[in-house]
Amino acid sequence: MNAHTIIDSVLVLVILLNLGMLAVSRLASGVRLFALQSLLLAFLPLAGDVFKGEPLGLHGFVIAAGTIALKVILIPYILLRIIRTGEVHREVEPFIGFTASVFVGAILVIGSFAVAVRLPLPTEPVSKLIVPVALSTLLLGLLTLVSRLKAITQVLGFLVLENGIFILGLLLLKQTPLLVELGILLDLFVGVFIMAIVVYHIRREFDHMDTHLLDVLKES
Amino acid sequence: MTLLLVVAVPLVFGVLCLVLPTSPLRLAAMVAGALAHLVVVLQSWPASDTPAPGDLVGLDPLGHLFLTIISVLFAATSVYFVGYHRKRLVSQRVFLACVLALLAALSLLCTSQHLGLLWVALESASLATTPLIYFRLGARALEATWKFLLMNSVGVALALLGIFCVAIATTKHEGVIVLTVADLARRAADLDPTWLRVGFLLGLVGFGTKMGLAPLHSWKPDAYGEAPPPVAALMAGGVTLGAFAGILRMFQVCAAAGLGAFAGAWLIGFGLLSIATAAVFVVGNNDYRRLLAYTSVEHMGVLVVGIGLGATGSYASMLHAMHNMLNKGATFFLAGFLWRLYESNEISTVRGTLIRSPLAGVLLLAALCATCGLPPFGMFFSELGIVLAAAGSGRWWVLAVFVLTLAVVFVGVMTAMLPMVFGDPPENASPSEIEQPSQRWRRAAMLGAAGVLLVLGFGLGAYQPTPVRDALVRAADAIHRPHVDVVAVSRVQSEVRP
Repeated sequence: MNAHTIIDSVLVLVILLNLGMLAVSRLASGVRLFALQSLLLAFLPLAGDVFKGEPLGLHGFVIAAGTIALKVILIPYILLRIIRTGEVHREVEPFIGFTASVFVGAILVIGSFAVAVRLPLPTEPVSKLIVPVALSTLLLGLLTLVSRLKAITQVLGFLVLENGIFILGLLLLKQTPLLVELGILLDLFVGVFIMAIVVYHIRREFDHMDTHLLDVLKES
Repeated sequence: MTLLLVVAVPLVFGVLCLVLPTSPLRLAAMVAGALAHLVVVLQSWPASDTPAPGDLVGLDPLGHLFLTIISVLFAATSVYFVGYHRKRLVSQRVFLACVLALLAALSLLCTSQHLGLLWVALESASLATTPLIYFRLGARALEATWKFLLMNSVGVALALLGIFCVAIATTKHEGVIVLTVADLARRAADLDPTWLRVGFLLGLVGFGTKMGLAPLHSWKPDAYGEAPPPVAALMAGGVTLGAFAGILRMFQVCAAAGLGAFAGAWLIGFGLLSIATAAVFVVGNNDYRRLLAYTSVEHMGVLVVGIGLGATGSYASMLHAMHNMLNKGATFFLAGFLWRLYESNEISTVRGTLIRSPLAGVLLLAALCATCGLPPFGMFFSELGIVLAAAGSGRWWVLAVFVLTLAVVFVGVMTAMLPMVFGDPPENASPSEIEQPSQRWRRAAMLGAAGVLLVLGFGLGAYQPTPVRDALVRAADAIHRPHVDVVAVSRVQSEVRP
């Protein structure tokens, strides 16, 4: 099996996990799928080096370690804790039904492939799938964000969106200094941490995490 | 040295706010931190130069101007807050520390030359703002906080995507191009134009969300309506300016790559849409803080329209950025005072400020005139400058829409808020806490801070000292020619002149 095939199959797996997240009805399963997706992505910066025959860079290692620590362990842990401590129904309660959202998701994936064809990369990338997979992950994250009612699912959607951007960032390890990338990871973590605190307050205030109750403020 | 101090000083005082034992000491630490920052910034003038290639941070004319504007706002707000604050606040430590952390993040943002670092700074600023909005607790503040957090996080994520697209645009040729504005501008010819366009648009949408440009402004009235007024002032005058700096950095790269016209057209489009949206929602709004939030949407629109209109428009835009800070600071300070006075957000309840508190009434009237761009307040000249720039470049439809929508906002704001100044005060109103004789120092701090900003707005509108004008001109120049050493050019020009 050659190197490109492995990277390609990992990227295909990432898309499948995305669609899986749209389909599952239990919040906790969604979080676990996200952790799995992040784990796959964490190894990609290293894989890129290996297949180009270059020595493993410190840069790639730090990013991989940081991603695993944050997105595979810490953030899922926080989210699962919130879900477990909440004495509320643990299903996702979508705006759009599960089947329908998977269907919309599939259309978005096809759309991203169509768009990616029109956006050729300036140089040959490690895998041709990177841009379309990044785009579809991003769009599916946005879909989760706008179509689900629970605050915590919206956080999950935001995290998937970030993963999409992360995939695109894989092309750019040379361009961004390590300091900046660590800053990005740190900001992401603090962001999710603050979101978790706000979700906690929302639940205390309204007795559950539905955001459709958050519609008092509008023009009368 | 300045670069280190502008970030370190607020952080050190922020830590002090966390550890000091009593409330007056903590307040003093916040005021001292903001004032020390202002001193550092002011004594760094007039030295701003073109950062060397590869520098992650540096003081270029644009960043230096924005840094100064933000510093003045924070100094005024810290004084105001001493008068505004009441003991009932939940965690004063966290609040004050977050204010200073926000100042540090915005300072880093203004001085960062690297697009990635700029992003990190802006996101940190967002995160520092979130606890400030949720300060009053309760369901409404919570809703505003959630909307702000989610919309801004997604917006800032899109901006990151835009920055990555710009980074992809640099991979066209061999050799790594560092993502600093100076490097990108210098090697603009080597950038892939398609990806640069995509990057700019995503950056505009992302930073635009943070700035509150329509149609991505929906968090703004909620956040400004629910956050404590001094926080709203910091956001409307400072944080939005930081996001604007993000758009400008992307624009600088586009301009250097010859995509200025493309980028400018989008800026004009978003800007006019924002002003029009503000015009729709200002009319008939009965909550004065939400109404002021819509005037902020309007002023953000004016800012980006100016950049889109080329060099003359950009000068007007820089002028507008300065006066926007003075104006938003003063109006939200006064909004906070009115809230203490009438304990209501409703325009229909607040009547006869002029009779109940003559000084506040006069200041409010002046603030209204400044907001609507009446001369000699500075916004008159910046908006006039944009009208002239539109006429000069023959963009008549831009001029028509701009003038028409501004007129609607003018009428909307004046009809809604003039009765707040004049009108008859409610008859059986019991005196509020702020009217007690023992609270005179609070009134002095609150109205004093608003007054100083208004006087500055009035003075800098009527008369523009040479250093201020120089700073504005050089900042506007840097937007369209980031790779040219502006200092050298202006020196040559002044030598050539007789």
